[in-house]
Amino acid sequence: MVLVPLLNLLALSFTEPGKAHLMGGLDIIPKGFSTLNYELLFANPLFTGSILNSVWITVAGTALNLALTSMAAYVLARNEFAGKKFVLFFLIVIMVFEPGMIPEYLLIKDIGLMNTLTSLILYKAVNVYYLFILMRFFQDIPEEILEASRIDGAGHFRMYSRIMMPLSKPGLATLGLFYGVYHWNEYFRATLYISEPAKWPLQVVLRQFVVRKDNTSLIGSQNMFDSSIHFDFAALQAGTIIIAIVPLLVLYPFILKYYAKGALEGGVKD
Amino acid sequence: MNVMKRLRQDWVLYAMLFLPLLYFFIFHLIPLYGMKLAFQDYRIIGDPVWVGWKHFKTLFSSPAFASVLQNTIIISLMKIIFVFPIPIALSLFINEVRSSKYRKYVQSVLYLPHFLSWVVIAGIWISLLNPATGGVNQIASFFQLPSVDYMTSKEHIRWVLVFSEIWRSAGWDSIIYLAAIMKISPGLYEAAKIDGATRLQQMRFITMPHLYSTVVTVFILNLGFFMNAGFDQVFNFMNASVISVVDILDTYVYRIGIGNGQFAYATAASLFKGVIGIVLILGTHFISKRISGKGVW
Repeated sequence: MVLVPLLNLLALSFTEPGKAHLMGGLDIIPKGFSTLNYELLFANPLFTGSILNSVWITVAGTALNLALTSMAAYVLARNEFAGKKFVLFFLIVIMVFEPGMIPEYLLIKDIGLMNTLTSLILYKAVNVYYLFILMRFFQDIPEEILEASRIDGAGHFRMYSRIMMPLSKPGLATLGLFYGVYHWNEYFRATLYISEPAKWPLQVVLRQFVVRKDNTSLIGSQNMFDSSIHFDFAALQAGTIIIAIVPLLVLYPFILKYYAKGALEGGVKD
Repeated sequence: MNVMKRLRQDWVLYAMLFLPLLYFFIFHLIPLYGMKLAFQDYRIIGDPVWVGWKHFKTLFSSPAFASVLQNTIIISLMKIIFVFPIPIALSLFINEVRSSKYRKYVQSVLYLPHFLSWVVIAGIWISLLNPATGGVNQIASFFQLPSVDYMTSKEHIRWVLVFSEIWRSAGWDSIIYLAAIMKISPGLYEAAKIDGATRLQQMRFITMPHLYSTVVTVFILNLGFFMNAGFDQVFNFMNASVISVVDILDTYVYRIGIGNGQFAYATAASLFKGVIGIVLILGTHFISKRISGKGVW
């Protein structure tokens, strides 16, 4: 039930265009074999550009997420940190009171981040829930290790970068996957903040093309629907979906290893 | 004196906290403060004007808002009734799979849809429910049933939401129950086997009672998100033919706010939703803390 729809789309995307209309929803073997759909997609600048946008948002966004989250988690995991209670309370307030979509939209507009990929990288730079997970992870690292290096004269930043970070690789991997999957799948903020098609991430292009069945944005960027090329629209859509899934499938073994474990330790929500 | 000394010692800590806190200040507190727009009229040029409860009065007398509220509640209730129990049943089923290789395989396949975006899932389901070539209608035609265009059918679309939600999250959500099952002492099953209990009886009298508190906790936690009704899902499954039955609070806010530019009015609608959400989250947090000792945070 889970796999058949995916395999069907995979098969459809590789089916020869002339035979695509013969493909039923339960067929999981392509009729004939053709890579035309992928050739068309990868020849389209809007499409390839959107993949690059998504990769940039995911990589830069996750890097920023991990840097800020781990620094905050380090500080909050230190018992000697005065004001810890206050900051924790502040974070819980942040978690409970979520601003609505309109004030966030107006904020992005006011600070001049409309139509920038930066808006998508910045607006969720730290997730409070993930911060708490990492904080707990840091707290589990024995105090003696830190104590030893403190006697050697290491300051907090040195302890953070040389001891905590290397020791917390599994925790950071878990969080990196949380954040990474989130960025890769992000589409809504992008539809809100970005109106220039050239800056759309893949999910937005996918949404325009597959969900809203609007192909004018794709055609507009290039004459890919050249009448001399015979292709099947549904099969082309299938190819787009498959491409959006591939990075997740590549990372899936790691996701299963870290993400599932992290989600359990963190509790119910993710 | 003490404070100064600490500050000198730990200034690095405060420096490290600076950027994260600055982020929260700009991207959370400022828009949170911006929610005051619900009591104002938005001006493109110049400062907004205070208008008190005006937008709320319009909101509560608007038939569109009433229908949106009704849709939100119906869709959320349907999900609680029909989606919530599935992962529990699934965890019992996965637990009965003997071969650990096969069990791993089942789990990794069932977890997969959780990692797909709702855009991708909508794409998959649009293809799956296609009236001519979709898998569902092909099965129907095999049994001589008429083909239905589920995506544009007002009678069916809410069920499409229920089933696609199950498809996406039942596997993943079963993790929490599986973890609870793993914690049950194997000794109990040993003792039951000696007493001659069948596997079904073991499930009924050992596994299920042990799941009870987890079920209650998860149920309460879910209630906290009742007013969401799954925005990302609805946003991608919605189309002009079915908008009247699936338009929920958040999609409404999006349409009148971003679509029509009625920023203040839309903010009022989202503040209304936010307040109910906070009451539910705080309420469920304290109830769940009392029942299980485990809160929302």
